[in-house]
Amino acid sequence: MTALHEAPPALRPPDEKPVKKSRFKRDRSLLLMVIPAVLLLIVFNYVPMFGTATAFQRYSIYAGFWHSPWVGFETFRQLFSDPLFWSALGNTLMLSLVQLVFYFPIPIALALLLHSIMSTKIRTIVQSVVYLPHFFSWVLAVTIFQQMLGGAGALNQFLRQNGLGTFDAMTNPDTFALLVTSQVIWKEAGWGIIVFLAALAAIDTQLYEAAAADGAGRWRRLWHITLPGIRGVIVLMLVLRLGNVLTVGFEQMLIQRGAVGRDAAEVLDTYAYFYGVVNANFSLGAAASLFKGVLSLLFLLAANKIAHLLGEDGLYRR
Amino acid sequence: MKLDRRQLLALTGLGAASSVLAACGDAKTSSGPGTTTQDQLTKLLPAYTPNELVKADIPSVQGANGFFSNPAFLKYPANPVTTVTGVPGKGGNYTTMTPLWGAIPSASGNAYYAAVNKAIGATLKLQPADGNNYDKVLPTLFAGDKLPDWVQIPGWNMGNLGFADAVNKFADLGPYLSGDAIKAYPNLAAIPTSAWQCCIWNGKLFGLPVYYSGATIAGTLFHRKDILAKEGINPDDIKTPDDLAALGQQLTSASAGRWAFDDVFDAIGQIFKFPVDPNRWVIDEGGKIIHRWETPGLIEALNWYQTQAKAGHVHPDALADKTQDAKQRFWSGKVAITGDGPGAWKGDDAKSGKAANPSYERQAFKLLSTDGKPQIWMNPSAGMYSFLNAKLSGDQIKECLAIANYLAAPYGSKEYLTVNFGVEGTDYTMVDGNPVLTERGSKEVATTYQFLITPISPTTVIAGQTQVVKDYAAWEADMVKYAAKPAFYGMNVTEPAQYASINQPMVDLVKDIRFGRKPVSAYQEGLKTWKAQGGDQLRAFYEDIRSKYGTGQ
Repeated sequence: MTALHEAPPALRPPDEKPVKKSRFKRDRSLLLMVIPAVLLLIVFNYVPMFGTATAFQRYSIYAGFWHSPWVGFETFRQLFSDPLFWSALGNTLMLSLVQLVFYFPIPIALALLLHSIMSTKIRTIVQSVVYLPHFFSWVLAVTIFQQMLGGAGALNQFLRQNGLGTFDAMTNPDTFALLVTSQVIWKEAGWGIIVFLAALAAIDTQLYEAAAADGAGRWRRLWHITLPGIRGVIVLMLVLRLGNVLTVGFEQMLIQRGAVGRDAAEVLDTYAYFYGVVNANFSLGAAASLFKGVLSLLFLLAANKIAHLLGEDGLYRR
Repeated sequence: MKLDRRQLLALTGLGAASSVLAACGDAKTSSGPGTTTQDQLTKLLPAYTPNELVKADIPSVQGANGFFSNPAFLKYPANPVTTVTGVPGKGGNYTTMTPLWGAIPSASGNAYYAAVNKAIGATLKLQPADGNNYDKVLPTLFAGDKLPDWVQIPGWNMGNLGFADAVNKFADLGPYLSGDAIKAYPNLAAIPTSAWQCCIWNGKLFGLPVYYSGATIAGTLFHRKDILAKEGINPDDIKTPDDLAALGQQLTSASAGRWAFDDVFDAIGQIFKFPVDPNRWVIDEGGKIIHRWETPGLIEALNWYQTQAKAGHVHPDALADKTQDAKQRFWSGKVAITGDGPGAWKGDDAKSGKAANPSYERQAFKLLSTDGKPQIWMNPSAGMYSFLNAKLSGDQIKECLAIANYLAAPYGSKEYLTVNFGVEGTDYTMVDGNPVLTERGSKEVATTYQFLITPISPTTVIAGQTQVVKDYAAWEADMVKYAAKPAFYGMNVTEPAQYASINQPMVDLVKDIRFGRKPVSAYQEGLKTWKAQGGDQLRAFYEDIRSKYGTGQ
């Protein structure tokens, strides 16, 4: 009887080499398609990484990379002793946290909402409308907010003309975190639903039918079928988001830094920009960015680890 | 918004608003403070041979301390003179890079580019780059050693380049231009000495001056004369900051969408006597060298401005730092008083403003003061300079200088018309005796060749707005009476790199205070940090300059 349990020869895993060869043969066109992207990645992401070496130099644009003197960790000492750097790091983490709490669930909720709409026509219209702001530049997005909520914007002019008090949401440092989060929601939430919609579409509709037949209501189906169905994607997005926790919209901050002041709007990226590029201290800028890069990597790995511990795939399957 | 070449002087003001002076480069490569002794200057400076072709309709007026107003012309001469015989170029090819504020014209099929290149007998491959980000582009060009053959660099973009080092990449023009050598290029010889002086670093003549005059200032306070008139205000009655503050109340009508002031902080520097970019240092009554941040006027100005901001007399968009829309706010009457470079007061501005409101009229206040003694710190005579790449051969440098001689042809010449307006009938037509760009011309003609070198800037009729020229000339003639030189005037001092970053926190703090986010009392703490982090050392550096090179007075 044992012979029955033995796989037929054709299904037996052949020796290592032929596998690689045949897999290569099978994936040849896919691999070809990936080459341009890999090249781009090498040229624009990996090669420039060597530039971070300037963080350990006193870099001069005239002496260049090869002739600037090496100073070890001197630049980092300078960076870490600068209170403005720590305030920028604090702002970055705070803004990130606020966005994580208030922004992250929105695309999921929106996707669930859209998914439940039966009429494809309405669904397409709603989807197009919420996508659109993603294609605006930040300059335009902030201008629209200024025109609406600014001190001379539509809302305040209406209040003023009706003898009511005004509130300038665009220049108030205390509510800045909420302002930028609502800007992100307005601009990016629609775009963010795409990946969740795809995940929702992958759920087998028979499950819903079976559950409905068993008498499960709308909420039960949501809780027992929909959410578990997209849990993997949610965790993946969360892990990626945590890896980006130190990146909170450079342009968005740069444009509004003057309106609310450095204390509220200086984040790591704008700090690196002002003290690195604008003031031509490229080594300091590189040090700040390297610090940010290393920290981000740690965040990413930690989040991925936690995902694995929770039994999810995270970034990759173990 | 398109900035015209004639609004150029305004750019000094724009630069002032955004630039952060800093120095860079490392101690090893630094060639010193950049400046030059008086003796060396005398040897280096080209001989001056004026060649005014046309008599000005409104002649230049002599002001204080050697400053003078620009001559003004109401009509282009009917028979323009030729100042350059033959073709200056020898068929060479050169790449150029100049900043441009506004739409970059298409090079293909550009009749204006073709006409000028033909006239100069060489091919200048023009690469205009966005002026607002120019200071971010330059360091990478230097770092990558990818400088074009002929490049223009505005003075306010030099801070983060460590310019005493940067000039080593450029050709030393001294052998070609110093003393009587310049006589080979008559139009260059007609450039006044004060402009050449700005072009010298490390005891060598490197630059060619662009848009210079005897009345170069960062900016001033403008008002909508039509709005003031409606409120029964005579602008000549406004003489002190208190008078101005009273206007804040009178001109603001928020529910009607009008505010008295735009962001006028830099413009009130003149009233409260603190220097604005590119000027930083002055000498106080006790002879001490003090930085802008240490002038008593700065705190008075912060108090004045914060009061206006908190009282709601400043347009909210200005308080949200939306400086790029300031002109639109002024044109549309949303603000009545604004600060801008003097170049903002030109014919094309009147044209744009009148399009929004036919009664539009921009005028500048006569200089205000706190004590009845107005004073204005002047900018270096030239605010921008172009440089030739050190890699060019001697013959190529001579060819470029011959081309420069053509481009610097004075107002009233045939060459001036070609360089500034292109081909008659295609790019411009004569209207009431003045050249006016055609529709095609306004797309093709941008400030490109003119950013390489110019003749001394005259005040001329633009877009047919003759009255603007008369008003401007009268105001300028009055202004130069109060002209004064800040410390280290026109000396091209390059600050050591390590002081680069101490300025930014002060810029941020001043903004926080004037927009009302922090109390004025927070200022002293910031100033203390500034001094401790290098401000006092920087003063010592300048003390050393004073003892070795003087203060440029």
